[in-house]
Amino acid sequence: MKKYLAKRILFALFSLIVVVMIVMLLVYSLINKNVIFQTDDTWNKKSSNDRTIYEYTQYKKYGYVEYEDYSSFIKDKYTAIYGEDYYKQTDFLNDKKAIQDETTFKENVSVQEFVKKYQAEGYQIIYLPPVKYKSGKTKPGGNGYLIATYEKSVFSRLWDYAKGFISIETKNQVEDPNLTDRYIRFEKDPYSGAFALVGSGTQHKYLIYFDSRFPFMHFNWIHINLGTSYTTYRGQEITTVINAPTGKVIASKQQYPAMIGTDEYADTAIDFHSVTYSDVELTGEEKDLFTDNYTVYTLKREGLSMIETSFLIGIIATILAYMIGIPLGITMSRHKDGIVDKIGNLYIIFIMAVPSLAYIFIFAAIGTSLFDLPYKFANAEVKVLAYVLPIISLALPSIGGLMKWVRRYMVDQMNSDYVKFARAEGLSEREIYKTHISRNAIIYIVHGIPGSIITCLTGAIITERVYSVPGVGNLLTVALAQHDNGIIVACTVFYTFLSIAGIILGDLLLCKVDPRISLSGEGGGGR
Amino acid sequence: MSKKKNVAIIENEDSLFRFADKTDARESEKIIAPRYSYWKSVFRVFFRKKVNWIMISLLILIFLTAFIMPFLWEYDPMENVADSKTFNLSPAKAMDYFGGFSFKYCLGTGALGNSILYGIVASSRTSLSLAFICAAINMTIGIILGAVWGYSKKIDAVMLVIYQIVANVPYLLVVSVIVYIMSAGFWSLIFALTVTGWLGIAYFFRTQVMIIRDREYSLASRCLGTPINRMVSKNILPFITSVIVTLLATELPSYISAEVFLSYLGIGLSADVPSLGRMIQQGQTAFRTFPWAFWPPVIVAAMITIILYVLGQNLADATDPRTHML
Repeated sequence: MKKYLAKRILFALFSLIVVVMIVMLLVYSLINKNVIFQTDDTWNKKSSNDRTIYEYTQYKKYGYVEYEDYSSFIKDKYTAIYGEDYYKQTDFLNDKKAIQDETTFKENVSVQEFVKKYQAEGYQIIYLPPVKYKSGKTKPGGNGYLIATYEKSVFSRLWDYAKGFISIETKNQVEDPNLTDRYIRFEKDPYSGAFALVGSGTQHKYLIYFDSRFPFMHFNWIHINLGTSYTTYRGQEITTVINAPTGKVIASKQQYPAMIGTDEYADTAIDFHSVTYSDVELTGEEKDLFTDNYTVYTLKREGLSMIETSFLIGIIATILAYMIGIPLGITMSRHKDGIVDKIGNLYIIFIMAVPSLAYIFIFAAIGTSLFDLPYKFANAEVKVLAYVLPIISLALPSIGGLMKWVRRYMVDQMNSDYVKFARAEGLSEREIYKTHISRNAIIYIVHGIPGSIITCLTGAIITERVYSVPGVGNLLTVALAQHDNGIIVACTVFYTFLSIAGIILGDLLLCKVDPRISLSGEGGGGR
Repeated sequence: MSKKKNVAIIENEDSLFRFADKTDARESEKIIAPRYSYWKSVFRVFFRKKVNWIMISLLILIFLTAFIMPFLWEYDPMENVADSKTFNLSPAKAMDYFGGFSFKYCLGTGALGNSILYGIVASSRTSLSLAFICAAINMTIGIILGAVWGYSKKIDAVMLVIYQIVANVPYLLVVSVIVYIMSAGFWSLIFALTVTGWLGIAYFFRTQVMIIRDREYSLASRCLGTPINRMVSKNILPFITSVIVTLLATELPSYISAEVFLSYLGIGLSADVPSLGRMIQQGQTAFRTFPWAFWPPVIVAAMITIILYVLGQNLADATDPRTHML
């Protein structure tokens, strides 16, 4: 069994890697890159060489290519020599002018250095000669440019992604010669009263800590980097985007590290558990408040994060669906061809056949007009009521699906020999249904439970869009519309991981519930 | 004593039975039973239900309207775009504005003064063609490959790996990337829906074929040396006709739903192709203020999908030989 599980997990890892590779190939290599300019006004306004340069800067922003520019190269070069005033120096101005002459630019020393440096790194050097009128005047946007570009292969992209995926903080993480006292140890946490794993020399101060926020135990020690958003959430990491609460900043009476042990309190919204190391020397004010260099913080916000919102709605809907769907399915099969069965079947046909968009709007229309429930999430006066319609819209279709399968399995079991035998032995119908048929039929339903709980984390696309729920369901669709390749890859990894985990957990649960089933093929009836 | 009794019995039998004439050896092999024709029985069972008559006539009506009416009613969403008074008119106001009763405006106008009824008719044609073309492509590829996949153990090992990997690539991503590459349109959407769509069907058939492959009668036929293609076509495929039709019943509506879903997200068909999904998407922004632009396409989409689903399910029931008993 253990060997089988190890094999399954290895294969899951392999397929995860292949999926990410396919997706990277799709979004970085197969999509026509030009589509990002279709609705771009800046691109329309630019012309000639300026437009080409703008295209390259955008490609770099979207993560398609690496791109280096000659002007920033000489800027760096002369800043190192002359400092802030580099742009006044004649050397700099001469070098800058050099590329505007297509016949002589190659003789310039800086140009040669630029070409040599980036060619060695595998870049492709592109020279855009100045575009001029016949009179010799430069056309608008026709300045000459010298650039170096480099398009990553799928494999190197994948390798870079995998390298940065998981990072564990060590006590030698911070490169600061002044910091001599480096350790990772358990200490009493002054903010929660419990114990916390505290580090010095690590990026975060609190590596593992407890507080009153769900899920109560927090890890800063191990960091998973799913990827960085290029456009939708400019430059933010996706893990942060989906985990950070979205509400208002909340200030409370707290003690700065320097105040601990005194009676002094300050009114601040700083989340002291989030502090990270600052390389810069502390200002006087900071020295009064903090005892060490861990001074970079985030603020406490109220409300739920995107993923919490989606999960809350999803999990309530799932629990409701199982609580209502299974008994209904059993009732339908007990009174097969009766009135309950017929009504149930009509409902199942409705859910199976009608486009989900249509019935979600039908639920929305009924809920808002008959029960006066809030329609859009943000407009709700009572926040709790805003959750009602999304939960109902998610639960009702799942109830239909569960009813269908429970009924099917129950009816199949009803015709089997052991039921006839039980009847012949004189067991009551109630007993047969309760202890024999239901238990055998539920086995198949159990398989889907872990999957449906886990996929609550991915949110629901249509439901969240219709009610404008601030959840994670629309992350992928918005990213697709905005060509945010970082989020697309991150979503793929996230979704694939969850779906594979759901299936493996479902199989394990199935084994637990039904001892006859063997996954590894040793014993049991399976092949 | 006992001998006498025996003789008496034989004499009795003689009077009851007589020897058959030695005519045709083949004739004597025949068993007399009521004539059974598979497809006749299928249709007999199918048309016994009154619901099916109603559904079939509704489907024919929808088909005729969707495929013939667009020739008579030229749908131009931009025809009233210059006249802002025609925008978002309720049915009563629209007919009032365009002078008396007309079919064209009996469902009101949309956000650009377009006729809702003409839009729905033109859109149903897109949705129906999309559903039938996609289903035809996916089912054909899926069934053929699924049969081979389930039958050969070598292919099974390879295909399982491919399936488990491809099934994990988000469906939305595949569709939108393909639509971006090929630029939005009817045929690129069909390509996007079929490029990986057949895999699920093939996987489903693989399991069905595997179940039947190891049944005793298949084993016997293999021992007698029946070639693989005969095994697949004679032993396995007939057995799963009802499975095929059941799947068709869920596949056909699912493509209409998929188109609605994708259009709602702004992926899929280009703006010049009228589609139910696009109409629903355009109507949903103000579905409480201008309900006539939103509910008719929703109801039509729901009607088409329900009819296809119910008809398919009932046909699947009828194709199951166990229901053919008199």
